[in-house]
Amino acid sequence: MSKAFIIAKREYAAAVRTKGFLISLILLPLFMGGGLVVFSLMKDKIDISEKKIAVIDHTGIFSEQLVTAAENHNQNNIKNEEGEKIAPAYSFEIIKADTTNPHQQKLELSRRVRAKEIHAFMQIGSDVVHPTYGEENSNIYYYAENSALDNVRRWVNNIINGKIREARILELNLDKEQVQDLFYWVNVEGMGLLSIDSKTGQVKDAKKTNELETIMVPYILILLMFMMLMMSAIPLLSAVMEEKSERIAEVLLGSVTPTQFMVGKILGSVGVSLTTSVIYIAGAIFTLQSMDFGNLIPYDVLPWFFIFMFLNIIMVGSLMAALGSACNDSKDVQAIQFPAMLPIIVPLIVMMPIILNPLSSFATGMSLFPVWTPMLMVLRQATSVTIPVWQLYVGLLGVLLFTAFSVWAGARIFRSAIIMQGKRPKIGTLLRYIFKG
Amino acid sequence: MNIISLENISKTFGSHLAVNNLTLTVPKGSIYGFIGPNGSGKTTTIRMIMNILYPDNGKVRIFGKEQTGSRLDQVGYLPEERGLYKKMKVKKLIQFYGELKNVVNPGNVADEWLKKFDLTPWANKKVEALSKGMSQKVQFIITVINRPGVVILDEPFSGLDPVNADIIKEEILKLQDEGSTIIFSTHDMAVAEMMCDYIFMINKGEKVLDGTLQSIKDQFGKDTIKIQLNGSKHVLKDIPNIDKVNDFGQVQEIRMLPDSDPQEILSAIISKTKVTKFEITSPSLNDIFIRIARPEKNQNHE
Repeated sequence: MSKAFIIAKREYAAAVRTKGFLISLILLPLFMGGGLVVFSLMKDKIDISEKKIAVIDHTGIFSEQLVTAAENHNQNNIKNEEGEKIAPAYSFEIIKADTTNPHQQKLELSRRVRAKEIHAFMQIGSDVVHPTYGEENSNIYYYAENSALDNVRRWVNNIINGKIREARILELNLDKEQVQDLFYWVNVEGMGLLSIDSKTGQVKDAKKTNELETIMVPYILILLMFMMLMMSAIPLLSAVMEEKSERIAEVLLGSVTPTQFMVGKILGSVGVSLTTSVIYIAGAIFTLQSMDFGNLIPYDVLPWFFIFMFLNIIMVGSLMAALGSACNDSKDVQAIQFPAMLPIIVPLIVMMPIILNPLSSFATGMSLFPVWTPMLMVLRQATSVTIPVWQLYVGLLGVLLFTAFSVWAGARIFRSAIIMQGKRPKIGTLLRYIFKG
Repeated sequence: MNIISLENISKTFGSHLAVNNLTLTVPKGSIYGFIGPNGSGKTTTIRMIMNILYPDNGKVRIFGKEQTGSRLDQVGYLPEERGLYKKMKVKKLIQFYGELKNVVNPGNVADEWLKKFDLTPWANKKVEALSKGMSQKVQFIITVINRPGVVILDEPFSGLDPVNADIIKEEILKLQDEGSTIIFSTHDMAVAEMMCDYIFMINKGEKVLDGTLQSIKDQFGKDTIKIQLNGSKHVLKDIPNIDKVNDFGQVQEIRMLPDSDPQEILSAIISKTKVTKFEITSPSLNDIFIRIARPEKNQNHE
């Protein structure tokens, strides 16, 4: 097997020393984290110009309250501790309702919005305190150029509903303090389960769960494994085809057996993906810890991640190398690449239902199917639920057996196909290579 | 002692019988030439010796044992169609193949070979920068880097200029002196005739010739006349008892009909033109090759 290692060493060096590898090493996290970076950059670039809203208040009671709320907001919320402006100031222009020609009035206000004289205008129906469902007068309308996504609308929505409730409660002759109690919202906090620390024997308190951790951690791990497959196992398809079509394969077969040749190429790919993933994971751990998000790192899942990734790349890599050996040119590769990749894409498609319900029979069944076990078992483990330990080991056993089968079958196809020029890869031929050699 | 023995090996691709029931033994220290028309089964035979293709029937033995991967180190193989990693540096590439062949200190050995083939200035250049001839030399180096006991070369001289062909030829002979057994296939009958101790010819998957050059020529007897004329060679058309004339321009090779008398042929020619050279000889390997490979076309005078 030392010859396989010599080939693996060459493959590894050839892959790692290219500019393409360095560029993809840097670009991948940039693309993955790109959205977050853009979001955090853009977050500070929000529009902080003053927003003036015209109000036609048919109740006659809320317009003044809106003016007061805006003054409060402008005083307390628009500047940070350093005195920098971080949010827009709001102001209201109270307009008397035109009862004779309301449409004309609103048309004129629309013109003013378009002319940027005001940001928006709103109409508060006369019956909003005691509304009747479906009645025009029981509604509040907010007119703006982008009203659906308008932050001011959301702010006004909260303020005015608070005020409407207050108005209703005042009619019940309750104290304002009591009103505050009345509307105190008690959230149901999501918690993990308590466990016993294996080192100290002490009871470990449950961790507070959050959506970010529950979704992002499994999402990132599965995506990382997928990327590693895309970077190392999938390219074997075209790499082997090229060595075949450039007649390098037969020269090598003068020195090594086909199995050594194939295993060497796969081990080289495993090396490349281990290097890359170690760099990414170490980088992620360092970044998260320096940002005080160390508790997000699933240390207990990481060893499984590497075991499953290692086996996954051997499993997929040997099939890709075998298929590559059956291809004669890039057209053959193109024709075969997508169907060959489908089984790898499946875990990405079923990822969300499994994250949401990691213990369902669907999740369990899918994650015990050897081709999908590496990605889906890690995905389930990275969620906050506890996966039964037997499932991990049954999954691992399945993957080990299937990996051994892939290498065996791959080597048999590879051995027969690598020097066959001019024959298009057909499923029947490949199966014949597996069973008849 | 036989280094390689093929016992009744056959290989079929689909419905095409590439090699049929072939038996062949290669004595230690010999140079064995494999000849045959394109598609006759030479490369398939060589691939079966190399264990790259498995025979459907029969056995291949190298060093007296059935071929397995572990014996590859003692066999150097230069395939007919050969490629190199284009992006690798020349010395690194030779070193890589040296490591695969378990060469001790492959870096130094690579340097020695590069020097021997005048490639030292190219050691740190990428393979893609080499000319075709230089690549061929590098391919030859990686085949014989560990001075293997058996060297199998499929068309080693194709595409080489006479200077480079001569360098390779000298190295092949040197390997033979050191005790290696050489098998090479070629379409150049002159090279085969001059270099090979034994010739094996395969045609349509069947062994048609096997033995020393002399024994092969003896099979065909002295039915050939080499002649040089001072006048028009067209006179040969009308001479009786001539089976075929192979015209080389300055010299003509005449194949006599069986049981013909060369003296009668000579007299008939002299009566029509002046003869400057006349030699009764065995057919050349080239002629034997053509007789076997194109028997139906040899009936007509050319």
